[in-house]
Amino acid sequence: MKDVCKAVGIFAIGMVFWGCGNKTETGEAQVATGAEKPLVLFAQANSQDPWRQVFDADIKDAAKKYADKFEFQEQDAQDDPAKQISLIENFMVKKPKVLLISPVKDSVQSAVEKAHAAGIPVILLDRSVPGEGWDAYVGGDNTEIGRQAGAFMGQKLNGKGTVLMIQGIAGAAPTHDRAAGFMEAMKSFPSITVIEGDDCGYQRAKARTYMETFLQSHKPFDAVYAHNDEMAIGAYLAMEAAKAPKKTIVGIDACQREVVQMIKDGKIAATFKYPQPGPKAVEMAADLLAGKKLEKRTLLPTEKVTMETADAYLAANPNLAK
Amino acid sequence: MSRENAARILPLLQRYQVLAGMLVLLAFAGLQSPSLFYSSENLHNIFNQLAIPGILAVGMTFVILTGGIDLSVGSHIAFLNCVAATWLKAESSLLVSSAYTLALGAGIGALLGWIIGVTKLQPFVVTLAAMVSLQGISFIYTKNQFVSGIGPYLEPLKASLFGIPLSGLLLVAVMTAGVVLLGKGVLGRRIYAVGGNEEAARFSGVPVARTKIAAYALNGVCVAIAALLLTARTDSGQQSPGAKYELDAIAAVVVGGSSLLGGRGNVLGSVIGALFILSTDNLFNLNLIDDKIALAVKGGILLLAVYLQNLGRQR
Repeated sequence: MKDVCKAVGIFAIGMVFWGCGNKTETGEAQVATGAEKPLVLFAQANSQDPWRQVFDADIKDAAKKYADKFEFQEQDAQDDPAKQISLIENFMVKKPKVLLISPVKDSVQSAVEKAHAAGIPVILLDRSVPGEGWDAYVGGDNTEIGRQAGAFMGQKLNGKGTVLMIQGIAGAAPTHDRAAGFMEAMKSFPSITVIEGDDCGYQRAKARTYMETFLQSHKPFDAVYAHNDEMAIGAYLAMEAAKAPKKTIVGIDACQREVVQMIKDGKIAATFKYPQPGPKAVEMAADLLAGKKLEKRTLLPTEKVTMETADAYLAANPNLAK
Repeated sequence: MSRENAARILPLLQRYQVLAGMLVLLAFAGLQSPSLFYSSENLHNIFNQLAIPGILAVGMTFVILTGGIDLSVGSHIAFLNCVAATWLKAESSLLVSSAYTLALGAGIGALLGWIIGVTKLQPFVVTLAAMVSLQGISFIYTKNQFVSGIGPYLEPLKASLFGIPLSGLLLVAVMTAGVVLLGKGVLGRRIYAVGGNEEAARFSGVPVARTKIAAYALNGVCVAIAALLLTARTDSGQQSPGAKYELDAIAAVVVGGSSLLGGRGNVLGSVIGALFILSTDNLFNLNLIDDKIALAVKGGILLLAVYLQNLGRQR
């Protein structure tokens, strides 16, 4: 019996090393083929939420267009700052010609600065870090998105009513900016009251639970402004299940087919695109390699998606998440 | 091969499995990407990055040797990270902030050990509860705010001594202390005795509850040291780190050859286990292989390690 056990054990060890060996050999092949071309590495914050998944698809598509100019590779930090710091350190060993980073949090600042100080050009995507220890930033403008959502809401309600605002993550910059822009626009509509609702962490399930409870309070309201589409959908599902009268719902992100479909069906009034920084960042990396100077800050414009523009939007954005 | 030979080789293999695995990995890295893996920059990175998971693995070893487990390590390190950052932001000196963080870590550990040792509730459940509570407490403590702008107090922790990162040296110190504590003292013998056979230990006069309190408190101290290093590394305090620190620590201990049933294993193995896991990650990073594959492979390695440990012991 023992002999059998031992044989199986040794076989299993062999399997693992054989497995590792195989995997790393394919890795070696990748490195070998890319050896002559400059390397552009991307440290993604996470690859989990729908917006990031579209982000990944978009940036990979864009990088393919430059396949003859540079080799592009991406790894993600699973939303952990310490892990992203390690990732950036490990990337530096590879001596990339351009480093793209979508910071998890401000706390990766030291690693960003370290790469920049080592002479590697650093382009930040979507989120910035404090200080000046980086070369360029590209991302959306959440305050402007909030402003436009507010203006749309004001017109839709004819300047009067009550809006329930479902918020993202407390203390996070996008949450703050999306709220501040909206409140700024609301100054032009003094007859609209805004109820500052709970933080639902940008999550559909939490927003649904919150809306279910809110409906139980029987407070009158006319519209919902959610800091992202997932929460807008969650709120809609709660109202639909409770057979509550229809309200105007506005979300942000416009990165899912599902939400565009709901807009076509008249379930959600509008969403505002939170632009994907990937393609622009890849273009900037190519410019850098070609010796061009970059703008320090590039802000990407938003786009309003309503029932009228939904079909055109779907056609123009093939990488949308399901 | 004969039965006798098998009986002799198997325990040897089990005892040194992680060392064997590590040597194979190092040899493999040498064949595959020597200029990258063995560059001084990368070795410096590895030694620096190993400090946090290595120290957590040392702490977890004490707990697992008693037959326990600590699932709260991730929330615990996040909480102490917030505490250290908050104190440093309030311009307390490094000494005062560190002392407070260490004391708090030891206290939380001791409390967990006390609950487990005295009330005899299962460690899994007690530390699961602690994981949830500590997460909440972190948010309350920081009033839901990200703690940043903590000044230059932690610079000493980021320094290097003769080109070797101080964090790595700290790990060596913690590891040495762990080896001495478990190998030479009364406490070490008691920890092994409690994990080996709790009833027998009790009948032979080992203070079981006190031993468990000590083991969990030691783990708490290790978590606090790791939390200080994390604070230095991220220059901030945050309530919920994405990394599963507790799972990485448990994985390192198991890969390092300790038995989850308690009573068998050692600190050195756990640190090599952590090094093995980190080096695997590092190799995957250097070769730009999808990290999802890395996760899957890590799971496989873990399973194999547990399997090897159980070989010849289930009859």
